[in-house]
Amino acid sequence: MTTTSLEPENTVNKRYVKALRSSVKHIVTFALIIGLWEILGQNGQLNKYILPWPSLIWAQLVDLFFISGIIYYHFYTTLAEATIGFFIGITIGISLAVSAAFSPVFRRYIAPYAVIFSVTPGIAVTPMIIAWFGFGWSSKIALAALVCFFPPFVNTLTALTRTDEDGSDLFRSMGASKRDYFWKLQFPNAIPMIVAGLKLALTGALLGTIVAEFVSATAGVGILMQRFAFKLQIDGSFATLLTMSAMGLMLFTIMEILDYRVVFWKRDSRLLSVSRKRAAKWRRDHGNIPM
Amino acid sequence: MSDSLQEAGEAVSKPSATNSDVVIEANALTKAFSEEVVALQGASFKINEGDFISLVGPSGCGKSTLLRLVAGLIEKTSGSVKVRENEVTEPRTDIGMMFQKPVLLEWRTAVENVLLPSELTGKITDEDRSRAIQALHLVGLKDFEFHFPRQLSGGMQQRVALARLLQTGADILLLDEPFGALDEFTRERLNIELMNIVDGTATTSLFVTHNIAEAIFLADEVMVMTPRPGKLARIVEVPFERPRSLELQLTPEFNKIESEVRNILGSYV
Repeated sequence: MTTTSLEPENTVNKRYVKALRSSVKHIVTFALIIGLWEILGQNGQLNKYILPWPSLIWAQLVDLFFISGIIYYHFYTTLAEATIGFFIGITIGISLAVSAAFSPVFRRYIAPYAVIFSVTPGIAVTPMIIAWFGFGWSSKIALAALVCFFPPFVNTLTALTRTDEDGSDLFRSMGASKRDYFWKLQFPNAIPMIVAGLKLALTGALLGTIVAEFVSATAGVGILMQRFAFKLQIDGSFATLLTMSAMGLMLFTIMEILDYRVVFWKRDSRLLSVSRKRAAKWRRDHGNIPM
Repeated sequence: MSDSLQEAGEAVSKPSATNSDVVIEANALTKAFSEEVVALQGASFKINEGDFISLVGPSGCGKSTLLRLVAGLIEKTSGSVKVRENEVTEPRTDIGMMFQKPVLLEWRTAVENVLLPSELTGKITDEDRSRAIQALHLVGLKDFEFHFPRQLSGGMQQRVALARLLQTGADILLLDEPFGALDEFTRERLNIELMNIVDGTATTSLFVTHNIAEAIFLADEVMVMTPRPGKLARIVEVPFERPRSLELQLTPEFNKIESEVRNILGSYV
C-alpha cells in the first residue's frame, strides 16, 4: 500500500555505487571531448574565428564575469525583460483561457483567431513590435509576452473544458455552487496542465527577449552576442551563449521546482511527505478530535 | 446514520394510511434524448423508506438514466418522479450518490475528501471532522485518514467514496454500480459492508448493477429492466431475512429467484 519500507543498508550503498559509476562515465566523456577539442585548437587545427577552443572561451567567460564584469548588466537586463514579459504573457493567456472556458460565445468567436495566432511564428512580428514599442525595454517585454502567451492559453483552455461528467455529477448531487465547482474541482484539476504550459512559456519568453535584442537594443545578452559576432570575437559569442544557457537552465529549474511542489499529487515520491505533513497539521489544529 | 434512525422512529409513529413511508414514487417516467433514443420509457414504481432496491439489467437499459432522474441531475421528458411527495427538479440534500469511479480529489487526503460535502454546505465544524473520522473508521480505513487517493488501492478509494457519501447525511442513497470496477473478492466484501451499514436504518438505497446474484443478495426488491427502449420490466420481491450471509446464494430459494430474473431478462442477456 504505502512505500514506507526502509531498504536494507547494503542495497542503498549499491545504489550509490551505481550512481557514482554512471556519473564518473559522464565526467570522463565530457573531459575527453573538451580535451580533444583543446588539443586540436592548441595544435592549430582550428580557426579561432570559426571554432575557438575551450581555453579561449574560458578566458572570455572569466573576463565577462570577473575582470570587466560587463556581463551582469546585460544578464540582468535580459532576465528582467524576459521575466516581466513572461508574467504579462501568462496573465493574459490564462485570463483569456478562463473567460473562453466560461463563455461559449467567446470560445466560438475568439478562439479561432487564437489558432491562427498560434500557427503564425510570433518571432516574425519582431520588426512591427520594435516599430510600435521602440528600442527600449518595452519592445523586448512585448515580444516575450507575445511569444509566451500561447502555451498557457491553450493548456488552460483545454484543461478547463475537459468534461469530467462524474465529477460534475458528484458536485451537483452535493449541491455545490458553480463557484465551488470551479475552485474545488475544475481549477485544481487543470493545474498540472497549466504548469506544463508555464514551462513552455518560460522558454518562449527568453527566446522572444533575445530575438528582440538582436533586432535593436542597447543592453541584454542578445546584443552582447551580436557585438562579439560582428567583431568576429567568436570566443566571446560562445561565452555569451553559455551564459544564456545558464540563464535558461536557472529559469527552467525554478519552474521544475514549482511543478514539483505544486503538482505534488502526480508524484508518488512527494505524496508520502505531504501526507505526513497534513497529518501533523491536523493533529496540531484538531488534536481534540478522537482518532 | 443516527439521523436516519431517528427518522425511522418517526416514520413508524405516523399513521400508515397516509402513505407517508413512500420515499420515491415514479409514474410513467420517460426520458428521451432524441426521438430515436429513448433511454427510459414509462417507468412506474414506489419505494418505501428503509428499503434496499436493486436495479438490474444489461447495459443500455436505462438504469443509470433512471438513477440520474431520481437524483435530479437530468430532466425528464414526461411522466413524474417524486421524492417525499415533491417533484424532483434539481439535486436534493437528502439524496447522496456514488459512482463506479470513486471520483476523489487527488490533491486531498482521505479525510479531506470525506469532508467535502460538509465544506460545500457551510463552514467545517469540529463535529463534521469527528463524523468524517468516524465514517472512515466505519468503512474500515482507520490509519488511512491522511493518505492520498493515489496511495490507496481501488477498493480503498471506493471506501473513501462511501465514507464521503455517509458524510453527506443523505438518507436516500443512489448507487451507480459502485463496486463494479473492483475485483470480485473486494466487491463481495464491500457489498456486505454496505449492507451492514444501511441495514436496520431508515436509509433507502437504490443500487444499480448488472450482476444478477449481487442484485438479489443485497435487495428487498429487484427492479428488472430491459433495453431498447429502456423499460422497467418487472419488480421481483426478495423475501429473505436479514442479516444475510453469503451462503444464502447457494440455497434453492435464491436460485429460484435468480432464474426468475434471468427469464425476465430472457433474450437480452
